[in-house]
Amino acid sequence: MSMEEEVRALSAVPILANVDVSKLKLLAFISERVVFHPGESLCRQGDEGDTAFIILKGACEVLVDSGGGQKKVAGLTRNDIVGEIAVLFEVPRTATVVATAETEALTLSRDQLFTLMREFPEMSFDIMRVLARRLERTTQDLAQLRSQLAQDAA
Amino acid sequence: MDRNFFRYIWRYSRAQQLIILAITLVSFPILYVTLELPKMIVNQAIGGKDFPKQYLGFEFDQIQFLLLLSFTFLFFVGLNGVVKYVMNVYKGLAGERTLRRLRYQLFERVLRFRLPYFSRTSSGEIIAMIASEVQPLGGFIADAIAVPVFQGGTLLVYLFFIFMQDPLLGGAAVALYPVQGWLIPRMQKRVNQLARERVRNLRELSEDVGAAIGGVRDIHANNTVAYHLAEFTNRLQRNFDIRYEIFKRKFMIKFINNFMNQITPFFFYSIGGYLVINGDISFGALVAVLAAYKDLASPWKELLDYYQSLADTQVKYVSVVEQFDPPDLYPVERLHAEPEFDLDSCSRLVLNHVTYAGEGAGQEVNDISAEISLGERVAIVGAESSGRTQLLQMLAGLLSPVSGRIELDGQSLDALPQSVLGRRIGYASGHPYILNDTIRFNLVYGLLHRPIAPTDVLSEEARRRRLAEAMRTDNAPYEYQSAWEDLSEAGVASVRELDMRLIEKIKAFGMSDEVYRMGLQARLPDAIGEEAREMILSARAMISEKVGAGGGKSDFVEFWKADAFNRSATLAENIVFGVPRDPAMTPRQLAEMPAFETAVAKAGLEDLLLAAGHSLAETMVELFSSVSEGSDALATYSFIPMEELPEVTALLRRAKDGPEKLKRKDRNLLIGLALQLIPNKHRLGIVTPEIEEKSVKARPQVWETLTASVPDAFDFFSREAYSEALSIEENLLFGRLRADRPKSRERAETAIADCVEEFGLTPLILRAGLDFRVGINGSRLSSGQRVKIGLLRVLIRRPTVLILDDLFKGAGDPGERQQLERLQEMVEGRTLIIGMSGKELADRFDHVIEMRGGEIISEERPQAGPTDPQAGEAGAGEDVAAE
Repeated sequence: MSMEEEVRALSAVPILANVDVSKLKLLAFISERVVFHPGESLCRQGDEGDTAFIILKGACEVLVDSGGGQKKVAGLTRNDIVGEIAVLFEVPRTATVVATAETEALTLSRDQLFTLMREFPEMSFDIMRVLARRLERTTQDLAQLRSQLAQDAA
Repeated sequence: MDRNFFRYIWRYSRAQQLIILAITLVSFPILYVTLELPKMIVNQAIGGKDFPKQYLGFEFDQIQFLLLLSFTFLFFVGLNGVVKYVMNVYKGLAGERTLRRLRYQLFERVLRFRLPYFSRTSSGEIIAMIASEVQPLGGFIADAIAVPVFQGGTLLVYLFFIFMQDPLLGGAAVALYPVQGWLIPRMQKRVNQLARERVRNLRELSEDVGAAIGGVRDIHANNTVAYHLAEFTNRLQRNFDIRYEIFKRKFMIKFINNFMNQITPFFFYSIGGYLVINGDISFGALVAVLAAYKDLASPWKELLDYYQSLADTQVKYVSVVEQFDPPDLYPVERLHAEPEFDLDSCSRLVLNHVTYAGEGAGQEVNDISAEISLGERVAIVGAESSGRTQLLQMLAGLLSPVSGRIELDGQSLDALPQSVLGRRIGYASGHPYILNDTIRFNLVYGLLHRPIAPTDVLSEEARRRRLAEAMRTDNAPYEYQSAWEDLSEAGVASVRELDMRLIEKIKAFGMSDEVYRMGLQARLPDAIGEEAREMILSARAMISEKVGAGGGKSDFVEFWKADAFNRSATLAENIVFGVPRDPAMTPRQLAEMPAFETAVAKAGLEDLLLAAGHSLAETMVELFSSVSEGSDALATYSFIPMEELPEVTALLRRAKDGPEKLKRKDRNLLIGLALQLIPNKHRLGIVTPEIEEKSVKARPQVWETLTASVPDAFDFFSREAYSEALSIEENLLFGRLRADRPKSRERAETAIADCVEEFGLTPLILRAGLDFRVGINGSRLSSGQRVKIGLLRVLIRRPTVLILDDLFKGAGDPGERQQLERLQEMVEGRTLIIGMSGKELADRFDHVIEMRGGEIISEERPQAGPTDPQAGEAGAGEDVAAE
């Protein structure tokens, strides 16, 4: 059943890693599944975005406009996620994503996620835990770098 | 109005009352015969002897005589029934006519109240009075004369009989009447008082309900629910107390009456018995008197009941009528008169020592004298409490000065009827009244003065009958089912031209974008001709061509194709290949339609749909059972309303042995669920290729069955035919937007906009948008739109004098200056009087009057130049010059 496939894809999203399967099912049900033809863009750099895309099928490339034209920085395939952070708060897109093959993506919008979080507050804690862990790791990395820098300078 | 209800009835239904009385009297001998004949049958026919008998010159044997009497009896029983029927119908008719007249008079009076009166009276009370409080009066009206005459007459006859037997016994029979006649009215009086109080309390109760509905947002926003509930409880408590008191007293009256009626026989037995024993009267006479007295009780009781209900209705009547009798009603002529008065040829509007005292502070105008030349642009500048609004409303004839006069070339404005004031003068403010109808109706509302031409809604005969009945009760002589739009006042020749004018104005006021969007979502009005539909069909062809030419990238819409399943539409639409004409029809109702059931069964879809509905229901229960009932945001995603989830859960338990075993009602519920599925959107994997294939195959069969059994219920899709059940947008697109393609809505809107442009469909769509229903008080419009509609309504009827208040601020907003310029262009050459609080726009006017504290503090003529300020004030009165 296609629903199970979507739920599996959602569970691969890092911020949703701790969320209960029944909630993911509901999330899959209320989110939309969109088809992109080759050449169509999922999002554009600089645009305000509120949606994350989880690639279910196909392939995309990530392009960054660095002043002198667009440059491919990465490729996306099945189960890859773009715009994860845009779901949580307003932030301009940092890259353009264009489909290179017939692509199907599950779109997860801020409204939908927040609706769900309001209904099931425990979901927010699950997401918060993931973010906190990430922050903690980043802080550690930073400390490590700092000490490294200090050592180098010494 | 008459304060005495009995007099009111007599005045307006005298003839009918006499007829009722006549019928009553006729019924009397018939009733007598029906009572007498059984005795004859028993005594003479059955128990009689000496047959054959001579009767009316014929000879009868016993059986024949029995049959003759029996059939005579049958005839009179029938006749009695007929007379009763005729009388009851006629009584109802008389009551209803009088009631109709009363209601009309009350409502007409409401429209004759002067405006300030409404700040003292709540609409809730008036509604309750006209609608419900007068209703019980109707039942009494028919009995008003007949009952006292008939019962009183009967009573007198019996009394006469008793007195004839023995004056002493007669005296005993009526001995207590004076006591009852003295005591009962006294007790009734207190009941009347209570009844009056109850009416007042109920009125306040309906006002509370009205206020709660009107202020519901503030109630929730301030958490005052408890307060309002308590207030309501308080009223109910009061009502309860009054009712309880009334019951006690009313039944006490009954008790005393009954008791007194029982006491009289006591006199008969004691005094009468004494007289018989002493041999003063015969035993037979006493028995006869006792029998007569038994009959006496019934009319006496009827009379007392009559007296009680008379008192009751009198209270109800007075407590209503006194509310409709303020001292300064407008005369009736003001509503109806249509004199020849040419306001266009007038040249001066003169205020002569005009004074007005409003209800509150800052609403007064003190002894103002000024002159306005018609044809000029006049600004009246003043803060909200400067008396500006009151002055403007006086100029529009909406308020009357307390003293002083406003004159149009010597003619007092106050004496002019509404047919002049409300047609040649236009008044619009920042708070227009928006009727719960379409935008169009709200715009043309200002043209509805008198019926212009009959429509074919009513036959000629029906129209005559309605008018005759209306005349009989002095109702309005205007037929409601008429064309009311006064085209000549708008300066157009046809309704079509009027619509064009409306669209023009809508555009000029910057409302066309909103109305366009409403139009796209609306169904095409019937009033719009066939060629419009043709045009939309051509546009449809072009859109599909263009979208088709766009290749893969343009597949944002999935077109209707007779031989293909549309994955962006519901299963219901796919199987019917059409939509129900009634937009309120739910999928479950569709599933319950016998014709649809048959068609689905024939196509072999029944079990498939049932299985689909079953698995959909299971999924929904699984997904949403943990969602709380209050979560509206999530509930919108569910196929099953949250409150029905338990019911469906129970249904699923019943379906353990397979959904086929379920009862028909349950099966239809499941099929109804499945019918809502849109495969592209819901992706639950429930709509299998087999269902898709069979749905498409079923279409001809479904079409045949549905058209045969419910011919007008559905609109079937066809590329060559306009579908009335679809909105204009859906007709243009002839397909469904794909939920699984990015930005399909925006792309479709662009594609549609291009074609609309090319085919010149914009006016058509705007016209359809005009039929948008605005909701109660225009709640579905923004406040800006409401104000614009209020102004347009007045502009459409092209008044000679246009008075606007609260629409311009004059505070220096550049956009406002532009709007004013555009407005002045529109009404070029006519009198324009605008009230505003700031002076910034003064240079756009010929004459600026500044007010403060109810007085004119300065007058200027900016156009005449500042060199000669006196010139502008010629004839403005010494008072102003003295300032």
